[in-house]
Amino acid sequence: MKAYLTVFRMRNRMELQYRGAVIGGIICQMFFGLILIALYRALYAGNPQAIPIEHVSCYVWMQQAFFRMLVATDPDLLDKIRSGNISYDLCRPVDMYWFYYARIMAQKLMGSLMRGIPMLVFAAILPKGWGVTTPTTFCGLITGLVGLFLGLVCMCALENITMAFTMRTLDPRGMQSLMNLLMVTMSGNLLPLTLFPDSWQKVITMLPYAQLLDGPIRLYTGEYVPADAPRILLVQGIWAVALIITGYAMWNANRKRIIVQGG
Amino acid sequence: MHYIEINGLRKTFVVKKKREKGKLFRKKETVEALKDVSFSVEKGELLGYIGPNGAGKSTTVKILSGILTPDGGEVSVGGRVPWKDRKEYVKHIGVVFGQRSQLWWDVPILDSYSLLKDIYRIQTDDYKDRLEELTDALQIEELLRTPLRLLSLGQRMKAELCGSLLHRPELLFLDEPTIGLDAVSKLALRDFLKRENAEHGTTVMLTTHDMEDIAALCSRVLVLGHGRKLYDGRLQTLLEQYDYDHKVSARYEDEDSGNIDHLIASMYKELDL
Repeated sequence: MKAYLTVFRMRNRMELQYRGAVIGGIICQMFFGLILIALYRALYAGNPQAIPIEHVSCYVWMQQAFFRMLVATDPDLLDKIRSGNISYDLCRPVDMYWFYYARIMAQKLMGSLMRGIPMLVFAAILPKGWGVTTPTTFCGLITGLVGLFLGLVCMCALENITMAFTMRTLDPRGMQSLMNLLMVTMSGNLLPLTLFPDSWQKVITMLPYAQLLDGPIRLYTGEYVPADAPRILLVQGIWAVALIITGYAMWNANRKRIIVQGG
Repeated sequence: MHYIEINGLRKTFVVKKKREKGKLFRKKETVEALKDVSFSVEKGELLGYIGPNGAGKSTTVKILSGILTPDGGEVSVGGRVPWKDRKEYVKHIGVVFGQRSQLWWDVPILDSYSLLKDIYRIQTDDYKDRLEELTDALQIEELLRTPLRLLSLGQRMKAELCGSLLHRPELLFLDEPTIGLDAVSKLALRDFLKRENAEHGTTVMLTTHDMEDIAALCSRVLVLGHGRKLYDGRLQTLLEQYDYDHKVSARYEDEDSGNIDHLIASMYKELDL
């Protein structure tokens, strides 16, 4: 257990080294946030939607703040798989799945906290309808945070599945672009899922991608009332378990057919 | 019962060839990396494992370190089968792949070591003693707080070796550990390996193309070619026998490694490897 914690801690520390990238990321994400909100405000001016604009702007900011959680891949891990340095990890007395899971989680958590917190602070001082809103209920805040954590768990499991695929294909690009496309559209990063037609939402909100950020954000904004919370969290939990089991099985299967190429 | 016992070890790889013009599918070719290799090693032995490029040396090491599963044959190391029960097995072995890195690129090597400490569950006191012993012997104390990316190849190699020995493995695999080392570092590394072997009784299996390493370290060599075992015995005997049989013009003397290289090269050629 300690080994997994240490690798988590070390990866966190490594993430802290790239401060320039963080500042760049924040500026880029803020720009995107403002543009998107301006866009939705224009849309609302012509054609008001059922969801209040405050919720949409809050949704957009949350998505931008935790963007790093969504689409960040550890380049070192991919490099290990490609170059064969993974052989060293394969001859350690640890469980490969959790060893990498801890690394992935550290990167996603630290990366998004470092970017997310300054951005949410910035968004909080923006005028109403442009920035983030405070949660309507205390319960919304708590369930939102729990949901966010479950979302992170799902997210890391998804990422580890991509890693397992990469061990087969040796090149992450194909799988990654497919995953990123699904991720960005289906998780509500491109267009908030709340703005999808109701009939679509019934399906989309059941998919794993909606569990990452969409569910938690809607719990926070109060769009899902506290009575909905157990159901939302349960779906998240089920997906978390399913994704972890899938990834774990894939890693195990990889072990049996693995070839480390070269020297 | 020998410490390492290998019987009829086989491993094949499927290689996909470039698609030929006019054909729909790529041709697949099976390459037999190891065909029926058998040998045994006693505890505390320093074994040299040599052969031309592509002979199957690294494949053997990867199987013995539990990374690859062979297609056939039996392997037992200290009563354990490497690819079954892997987590238990790898606690007792150390591996150095000369061309790969186990230390983290961006963090000081001391931090990479403390991760290894937790991975192998080394007790803190034991870890401190061992780290001191190793850094003294390898002379890398002043490098401990430097990130790996700032080290030279030779310094990195020493750091890698130190990392592989922290958990006091009883069996150490070295896959071309002297690549890129200068003369001084090479000699230091050899002395270190000899001492490690003498003091702790570590069994060492050394794969290299540097015949000097073999001559200086290994009491026994194993020659592999085309996935088969060709020779198993003392290096001196191999050279004498070969020299006698084939009347190679290059005369060698005990310490003259340039000529050992010549001899080995003509032997590989002769055997059409």
